[in-house]
Amino acid sequence: MVTIRTAKPQDLMNMQHCNLLCLPENYQMKYYFYHGLSWPQLSFVAEDSKKRIVGYVLAKMEEESEEVPHGHITSLAVQRSHRRLGIAQKLMDQASRAMIESFNTKYVSLHVRKSNRAALNLYTNTLKFKINEIEPKYYADGEDAYAMRRDLVEFSKLHDIAPAFAPSFFDCKGKGSGDDHHHHHNHD
Amino acid sequence: MSANPSLPNNRTLPPKEYALFKRILKCYEHKLYKNGLKFAKQILGNGQFAEHAETLAMKGLILNALGRREEAYEYVRRGLRNDLKSHTCWHVYGLLQRSERKYDEAIKCYRNALKWDSANVQILRELSIVQVHTRDLVGYRDTRNTLFQLKPAHRASWIGLAMSYHLLKDYDMSFKILDAFSKTLTIRDSYDYEKSELLLYQSAILEESGDLQSAKKFLLDHERDIYDKYTFHESICRLYLNLGEYGRAEAGYRKLLSMNQEDGAYYEGLAKAMQIADDPAAKLQLYRNVERQYPRAYLPKRLPLDCAEGEEFLTYLRPYLAAALDKGTPSLFTDIKPMYQNPAKVIQIGNLVESMANSLRDYGKFSKDDEKVASASALLWTYYYLAQHYDYHRDTDTALAYIEKAIEHTPTLIELFMCKGRIYKHMGDMNTAAQWMDEARELDTADRFINSKSAKYQLRANRVEAAAAVCGKFTREGASPMENLNEMQCMWFQTECALAYQRLGQLGDALKKCHEVDRHFTEIIDDQYDFHSYCLRKMTLRSYMELLRLEDVLRAHPFYFKAARCAIEVYIHLYDHPLQNKSADEQISPVVEAVFSDISIIYVTYAFQADRRHFHF
Repeated sequence: MVTIRTAKPQDLMNMQHCNLLCLPENYQMKYYFYHGLSWPQLSFVAEDSKKRIVGYVLAKMEEESEEVPHGHITSLAVQRSHRRLGIAQKLMDQASRAMIESFNTKYVSLHVRKSNRAALNLYTNTLKFKINEIEPKYYADGEDAYAMRRDLVEFSKLHDIAPAFAPSFFDCKGKGSGDDHHHHHNHD
Repeated sequence: MSANPSLPNNRTLPPKEYALFKRILKCYEHKLYKNGLKFAKQILGNGQFAEHAETLAMKGLILNALGRREEAYEYVRRGLRNDLKSHTCWHVYGLLQRSERKYDEAIKCYRNALKWDSANVQILRELSIVQVHTRDLVGYRDTRNTLFQLKPAHRASWIGLAMSYHLLKDYDMSFKILDAFSKTLTIRDSYDYEKSELLLYQSAILEESGDLQSAKKFLLDHERDIYDKYTFHESICRLYLNLGEYGRAEAGYRKLLSMNQEDGAYYEGLAKAMQIADDPAAKLQLYRNVERQYPRAYLPKRLPLDCAEGEEFLTYLRPYLAAALDKGTPSLFTDIKPMYQNPAKVIQIGNLVESMANSLRDYGKFSKDDEKVASASALLWTYYYLAQHYDYHRDTDTALAYIEKAIEHTPTLIELFMCKGRIYKHMGDMNTAAQWMDEARELDTADRFINSKSAKYQLRANRVEAAAAVCGKFTREGASPMENLNEMQCMWFQTECALAYQRLGQLGDALKKCHEVDRHFTEIIDDQYDFHSYCLRKMTLRSYMELLRLEDVLRAHPFYFKAARCAIEVYIHLYDHPLQNKSADEQISPVVEAVFSDISIIYVTYAFQADRRHFHF
């Protein structure tokens, strides 16, 4: 049995553990704390009946750039042992909902390795992300990344989610457009 | 972290040198250490100011930032000796001590600094941070009071003061301060995230104080201004439940379910609100209703298995298993396993899956009379399930027979080899187990999860180097895997490594790994430091309070417990069996022996203090 819920500070260490088991991009604890203490609404975990974290999404807001504030998925992982349950989609949908409700977010972005067919398939077909651009040599090992975006205005209408501030949310100017400033990633 | 020394009173330097001194401070702030040293040299090079106290202190501070610790202390102390009445020198000395985590010493320095400049806000802030960091809560409150009086117009003064009372459990005072503060805020008509966070923090204080009525009223009064909908609804539902307002609680949990159907806690809350928590039949009815409303949700299909019994259990189990086996979900056994606590259910499950396997083999259907033909892989996943079922009962031969059938069916499925490895692990044959886990890894070298599992099994087989080599496929190029894993705080690896070394009798190496884990915890506790001021600015006060509470019991985490236990065992062994000829056993480093007596006591204390219930892992 798997539960999907908001990540609490107590979950962050076990999220780091899940990340180290599953993904090549790792971060020190402080970076997890930074997420959990800056945007406590945005990260979610999938927890099994023994209270083990089997999947998580670590998410943030991009606030410092000049464009419209938007959400960003720092990291998403589901343990191989818990695939095919739709966990990744549920985590991403929850993070998207929280971005709309708490931060009036119009779109969410992420990076994915060009070679990661499975993830690309999930983002494109299931979650309706679109490729925005290619970032050459984004990853430490020299691989290119696709920078992808998901339109949350559409998502909010589809799932009947009320945004934090409707007047500016549904104002179509700047919706998912504008130049994507180069966000430097934090892969140490 | 932005802890910069405060400016001295301009009483010892002429304007030109004073300007230079200010540039040193700027350079330090912007980490331009070389330039900082250059300016310091310009002042100190002038014979007249060669012993200028504050410049010497600043030079020391910069040297410290450059890692030249001993020189740093020399300069800072020399500066201080030259002017014991300089608040800057004391402040710098405090920063130096603080950078080495000597918090008590740092507090003494800040107090000395304040003797000469009692209204220095920068030093008071720094002091307050060290106080909350070391949980000198009374001291923290006093300092926050002083800061409040000095800077009543600052938002952080109000928030910090309220927080200091909250930490001392003076909920009333804490709430009153925030209430007064919120009245000073201009009302914004549009979206205000920070206000939303503040409101949730205030309601949390009320709820913690036990005044549930007020907490409820407060939340309802401010619902419109609260954007964190999960926290709002979860809090209000909890309050309704605890106040016995069941009808409202029920409506609240139904609202939460409309937002997320996959949180088990919402179903529990709903059952309590409907007062059916102890009524399995009513709960089954509830799950059926929720399933009708949300046909795609997973939990309403899974939860009935926990409360149905006997024949009814089978009516839920059959379609649940058939759907999962048809689709091929690797986690099915883990998902069902909690029910193995119930002997009657185990028999039902075993019989059902056996019969499914037979029907699938003979008719390609889960049951002979089914109309629907099962997927081509259903039989494979059924064998896979049965292998785990028999492995659970330690009926190894049957388990192996089933996993072989599955592998014969599909020789390329990674999960099957992982399962085979696990069966050998349960038999205690770690070498064969590791061999099969590595076979699984070879089938998908791009997947780190299977890579990690394989490395873990190598460690269980005491093959440390092989494990490091496996991990090395995913660690940074150019660094040694062990170093990179340490840098990334990869504690599962380090703990398993310590245990392998312990079994191999390489006690020095085992202790080294245990100490690496211990250092991660020290570092993670220190990570708090920057958040003391950061969260005040960000207004994420609820999460900050949770962080403080978490850090207080951080070493209760199972990673720590395992490493501490290993270290304790090794130290006790060394005490009982002192090394006769130290040079003969090169595995034990002299350093480790030197710290033995102190450290082991610390570990024992931590281990016994550890409240393991705090973490689930």
